Amino acid sequence: MLDVLINPDKFFEARKKGAKSLKVPLLIVLISGMISGIAAFLMADITLEMLSETLPPEALGIALTVGRISAFTGALVVSLLIWVVFAAVFFGISWILKGEGTFTRTLEFVGYGYIPMILSGMISAVLMYNFISTAQIPQVTDPTEIAEIMRQWITGNPMVQLSSIIGILFMLWSANIWVFGLKHARNLSTKNALITAGIPVALYVLYSIWQLGVLG
Amino acid sequence: MMKLLPLIFLILFVVGISGTPVAGEQKASVMITGYHVSPEALMYNDIGTITVTVKNMEAVQSVRIKEVSLLEREIKVLSDPYFSIGGLGPGESLNLSFTIRAGYTDGIYYPKILLEAENAENIRYQIPVKIDSTPLTIGVKGMPEEMVKGERAEIKLVVGNPRPNTVTGVKIVTNDENMIPSEVFMGTLSSDESKVASFNFTPQTRGVHTLTFTLEFKNGDNPHSTALSIPLNVTESKKSAELILTGIEIESTLGMSVYKITGDINNAGLEEARSVVMKVGEGEGIEAVDPYKAYFVGLLSPDDFSSFELDVKVDENVTKVPLLIEYKDDDGNLFSTTEYISIERHQTTSSKELHVSMIAVLVVSALLIIGVIAYSWKKR
Repeated sequence: MLDVLINPDKFFEARKKGAKSLKVPLLIVLISGMISGIAAFLMADITLEMLSETLPPEALGIALTVGRISAFTGALVVSLLIWVVFAAVFFGISWILKGEGTFTRTLEFVGYGYIPMILSGMISAVLMYNFISTAQIPQVTDPTEIAEIMRQWITGNPMVQLSSIIGILFMLWSANIWVFGLKHARNLSTKNALITAGIPVALYVLYSIWQLGVLG
Repeated sequence: MMKLLPLIFLILFVVGISGTPVAGEQKASVMITGYHVSPEALMYNDIGTITVTVKNMEAVQSVRIKEVSLLEREIKVLSDPYFSIGGLGPGESLNLSFTIRAGYTDGIYYPKILLEAENAENIRYQIPVKIDSTPLTIGVKGMPEEMVKGERAEIKLVVGNPRPNTVTGVKIVTNDENMIPSEVFMGTLSSDESKVASFNFTPQTRGVHTLTFTLEFKNGDNPHSTALSIPLNVTESKKSAELILTGIEIESTLGMSVYKITGDINNAGLEEARSVVMKVGEGEGIEAVDPYKAYFVGLLSPDDFSSFELDVKVDENVTKVPLLIEYKDDDGNLFSTTEYISIERHQTTSSKELHVSMIAVLVVSALLIIGVIAYSWKKR
């Protein structure tokens, strides 16, 4: 399994000879989703703490429970959806580049690329927990102010910025795995596999940097 | 015969100057039996009256008065002489008044009354009129040695009348808005009499104040006034509550624009501070925000302290935040002071530490990922 991280070419070449199986990739994506869910869980706490002066106490208890569950399951579901969406996008681009191979195999190999995201998710969760422990949470009366506060945190808080930068770095690691995964899943040249994985990842990275406030 | 001529002329001369009536013309007797000057003593430029009583002293003969006039150089006579007054029956009397205006030099003057009658002796009569411009005196009888801001002080003023006559309508007036009452009416003040008036003064600001009182009175119908200025220095009470801030900490809570200001408020005075409330002062680019737009401390006893917390949102160009401290004393007087807290935008120690660890994590992660990616491409 370590090969997928340090020598993905060899790993996917070997996996290609075996039967298609989504069990392990699904597990990887689920673990990644659960770690994202922990961060979302913590964010739900912050959001409701901001509204603690606005909401009545009894509603706050219910909202806290519902918010935590929704945030956790939402993050889990979104991770699964993004997995499928990424695989579909890769499949489409590689189709343009004359790639061959099934969608299931693409989905399987893309799933392995989520392993670095588990690491980044863990680091981000630790940083997020650290941030929440030390941050002063402002009280808001208007829920629309929450988005503005979040934006200020992302652009102004070093801890949140660090979390985002680490997310981008680990996304590049995942992209590296996807390059070799797509090369074998869709029978692409290394160059075409690089283009296939590079376009969506580059767009994602640019979007993340823009969110940090570095661009525009 | 020639020797008798001088004797004849001498007799004729003596008879002439003595006004001895011609045989058969007996003249009536008219007298000025009384006079009254009002006011009794005039001040410079005062207007007054001289009233004289003319009486026919004859028992059976009437007198026809042709003219009565008043003459004086130092005192100006404003009214005209009386002409052709008419007959004055036997034993009858008549009051005649003259209006006068006092000159500018104090002293006793003797204006002359000249009375001319048809069948009576002419009369010249001098009336003494006193001009004394000595004003009423006003002075401080009692006031606190120290004036304290916000504390009521009683100021007692004494008004004395060193004049030889009674004055009326005596009152003390002040325009100071912190003085109660604004006017004290004392009425009539006899000669050598004094009266005391009390005022309550509550200064609202520290520093040098000048209290101005105006003493108003009437001498007859003539209004006069005297001013009294009292310079005094208003200080803070030595015993009053003295609120000071210590242990101020400023934490950035939302990016760099919202700050939580915490600290202690101490009462270093000798009296209690009641209803202590702390607020964020007004200023451009400064806005108090929830949850602590204001902080109610309540009663703060001497040598006691309380923690406080305020939340403020400031613009980037703001470097100081005013904190408004309001409290009341035992009498309910409201006091307020403003303290300025500097907003320092440099990184805190914890942030610096965070930067070091951030760089370490970033460098390690970046090196790891670059190494892994390079290794994977080398191994392909």
